[in-house]
Amino acid sequence: MTDVFEYIQFVLAPQMITGLALGVAVVLVAIGLTIIFGLLDVINMAHGEFYAVGAYVALALGTSGVSFWLLLIIVPLIMIPIGYIVERGLIQRVFNMPDRHVTTLLLTFGLGLVVEEALKVVFGPNTQRPATPIPGAIEVMGIILPTYRLFLIAVGFAIVAAVAIVVNKTRLGALVRAAAFDRNMAASLGVPVSLVFAGTFAFGVALAGLAGVLLAPIYSVFPTMGRDFVFLAFTVVIVGGMGSISGAVVAGLLITQVQAISSLIVSPVWSDPIVFSIMVLVLVVRPQGLFGRLGHA
Amino acid sequence: MTAVLEVHDLSVAFGGIRAVDGVSFAAERNAITTIIGPNGAGKSTLFNLVSGLIPPDGGRVVLDGVDRTGEPPHLMQRAGLGRSFQITNLFFELTVFENLRLAAQRLENPMRFLLPVGRSDCALTRVDELIARFSLAEKTSELAGALSHGEQRRLEIAVALAAQPSVLLLDEPTQGMSHADTADTSKLIRGLAKDVTILLIEHDIGVVMDISDRIVVMHQGKKLAEGAPSTVRNDPAVKAAYFGHA
Amino acid sequence: MRDNVTAAPVVDRLALAMRASHVLVAIFVVAGLVFATVGVAMKDTFFLRLATEALIFAGLALSVDILLGYSGLLSLGQALYFGLGAYVAAVVLKEIPSFWVAMGAALVASLVVSILAGLIANRVRGVYFALVTFGLAQVAAKAVYNTRALGASDGMIGVPIVPIDLGVATVMSNSPAGFFLFTLAFIVVLYAISAYLLDTPFGRVLLAIRANERRVPSLGYSTRNARLAAYVLAAVVAALSGALYPMLRGFVSPELLFFTTSGNAVITVVTGGVGTLAGALYGSVILTVLKSVIGSMTEHHLIVIGLLFMVTVIFLPKGLMGFIRPSIERLIGGGSR
Repeated sequence: MTDVFEYIQFVLAPQMITGLALGVAVVLVAIGLTIIFGLLDVINMAHGEFYAVGAYVALALGTSGVSFWLLLIIVPLIMIPIGYIVERGLIQRVFNMPDRHVTTLLLTFGLGLVVEEALKVVFGPNTQRPATPIPGAIEVMGIILPTYRLFLIAVGFAIVAAVAIVVNKTRLGALVRAAAFDRNMAASLGVPVSLVFAGTFAFGVALAGLAGVLLAPIYSVFPTMGRDFVFLAFTVVIVGGMGSISGAVVAGLLITQVQAISSLIVSPVWSDPIVFSIMVLVLVVRPQGLFGRLGHA
Repeated sequence: MTAVLEVHDLSVAFGGIRAVDGVSFAAERNAITTIIGPNGAGKSTLFNLVSGLIPPDGGRVVLDGVDRTGEPPHLMQRAGLGRSFQITNLFFELTVFENLRLAAQRLENPMRFLLPVGRSDCALTRVDELIARFSLAEKTSELAGALSHGEQRRLEIAVALAAQPSVLLLDEPTQGMSHADTADTSKLIRGLAKDVTILLIEHDIGVVMDISDRIVVMHQGKKLAEGAPSTVRNDPAVKAAYFGHA
Repeated sequence: MRDNVTAAPVVDRLALAMRASHVLVAIFVVAGLVFATVGVAMKDTFFLRLATEALIFAGLALSVDILLGYSGLLSLGQALYFGLGAYVAAVVLKEIPSFWVAMGAALVASLVVSILAGLIANRVRGVYFALVTFGLAQVAAKAVYNTRALGASDGMIGVPIVPIDLGVATVMSNSPAGFFLFTLAFIVVLYAISAYLLDTPFGRVLLAIRANERRVPSLGYSTRNARLAAYVLAAVVAALSGALYPMLRGFVSPELLFFTTSGNAVITVVTGGVGTLAGALYGSVILTVLKSVIGSMTEHHLIVIGLLFMVTVIFLPKGLMGFIRPSIERLIGGGSR
């Protein structure tokens, strides 16, 4: 009996908490993806690279002395104009071409390649790791937990809740949802649709950047960090239902737990195939995902 | 006269609303049977049930004496049912010629399915016939998307007719047409009935009374009345529901 | 040359476009023969082998174009079949050093896997199809990556040199010029088979699906069957191309199954021209040349490739072939069906 408790206390619980931290991290990236899809109908293949840019900007500013707490505000503010320019300057150029999904997917895929390679040029190919802003660990019921991971979980949930409130409860969110539901109707009702589109894209990009700041101390910073991470985020978005915020949260937490536990039971090397199999299965059985789509009830 | 298409007690509901509710009728060979009724009466849904686009909740669809209830659209087509759509539904980025050839391809020997299209003689002969009959000779090399609305509506009928169906379902063929085009098209449809059984949905009451052999009136998913144009015109229930006065 | 407008013949644009593609492929073959001649004269090995690799990846791009250009399905996981062909060929060759057995095995394996995977992938369309194909390829890639019997992350080395018995002649897989010419012929045969099939009523049904899938069933065709057939055809083309890879390089590695490989094939097709088939061949050569030329100047050649790709998507949505082919069409053009 004690073996079971010890297993839970020293193996399973820490693993699940680590999984939860990863889950919160993935949800932060996935929410940006899902909002951009829900509103603009755009698969942003460059989303992972925006996450990487956020992490690198934080790293660069951090080493030149800017405090971590300030970075949490500065980096998203830097990302907003970047996202705005990308939406206005690139996405809108192909937005009305036939087959928007494929065209925008290809365009952002190209953008991702360029950004990833640019990061290599500017920062070099090596992995770097910023110092943990909150060192130390807390002991809860005999389980030792790194303080920063707990902080990440708390902050992550707060951000997700804030985003959900903005999208679902505020007047701004109502504008966004109206534009997502029917852009022509929204435009005729006086919603500044193109500003809403660019703004939403920028918002999603800023969230990715913020995730970059938060996750850099745990997962390190390297040029291909976005590519690896965004696959997981895509899985979350698909399983949760493209365009659904609550779907992204539920799927994000669920999938990372599956990953964490399957790493223990099966083997860490098989957790990726398991996760992708879940994605394929969900797509086949329920292509709309677990939850519906933003603005589409 | 014999019935080519029989519909028995056909029903379907969407979220508790009975869109089509126990409708029965028969379409006689080489006659024009027209479905009329106010918007939302369930006419297009009825077409979708008959052509297999929507599986019915109950009832039967019998084509040429064979029960084909619930068969998917491509099998209904092979059984001899052609249809056009209310909202023009063509291959807009392909030429008029290619639209027709695609539709006529079914006539070709299945063994030629993997031979070059240039050798599909039956299909190509059929395309020539259709081009002549629907006066599309000037437009064969144009993209379907570049045609005028009237021409697109004409092509829509030609595509539905291409594979020589025994029953042709036409969903508001004159929708959005000018007066002159409407008159031409109704004459064309009347001419088609020499070779094919036609089931028509039409809003232009002048056209309906002019070309129909039989009229089925629908209202709120149910069949309200059925009969020859003169009978239906004088039916008080029809007047109340459809023409808005008793 | 002026078009003969008075007769107003039926211009079958699709047949004309296909003939123009044939002309472009013929030019491609002539260029390949000239290249081989020069290569042999200069006793070159490096460039001949590089060109052979470009041709092998052209086969993968061809398979992406069969899906994207003809039935409108973007596959982000076509590397699954390329890698399948490569691994099956490598495993077979290490046991039985016979070219035809290896190709036969790759063919059978790709048929089986693509029918099963196609039943899954074809339940969805559009973006979802792209993501399912991506997911399936990821599952396969990670599985290979973790399977010791297949060499895990290191891949498999020591694939033997094989003689390719063609009846009239035998080509050794390590002969730079010989294997280049063989690969050129092989890819052209794959092109010819694909082009032939796409010019039949079956191919036109695929085009109809791309143009307006919802209308196709009322023409009497099952879209599910047609899409599955296209999927299987594309898989076979990718697998047979992939099977040549271990013969050229003597090894296989899990990278062949990774997203980078699938993504490169998509870049190739978009750059060359979607829906032209010939574009896959030209695109692959162009990308290989770009990579080696820019790669010799900077290791960050992906920036240039990525930028070029973005420019293509925005300004040349029909790719290089969309730019060139219309003039070829005018040259041979205007004829009847």
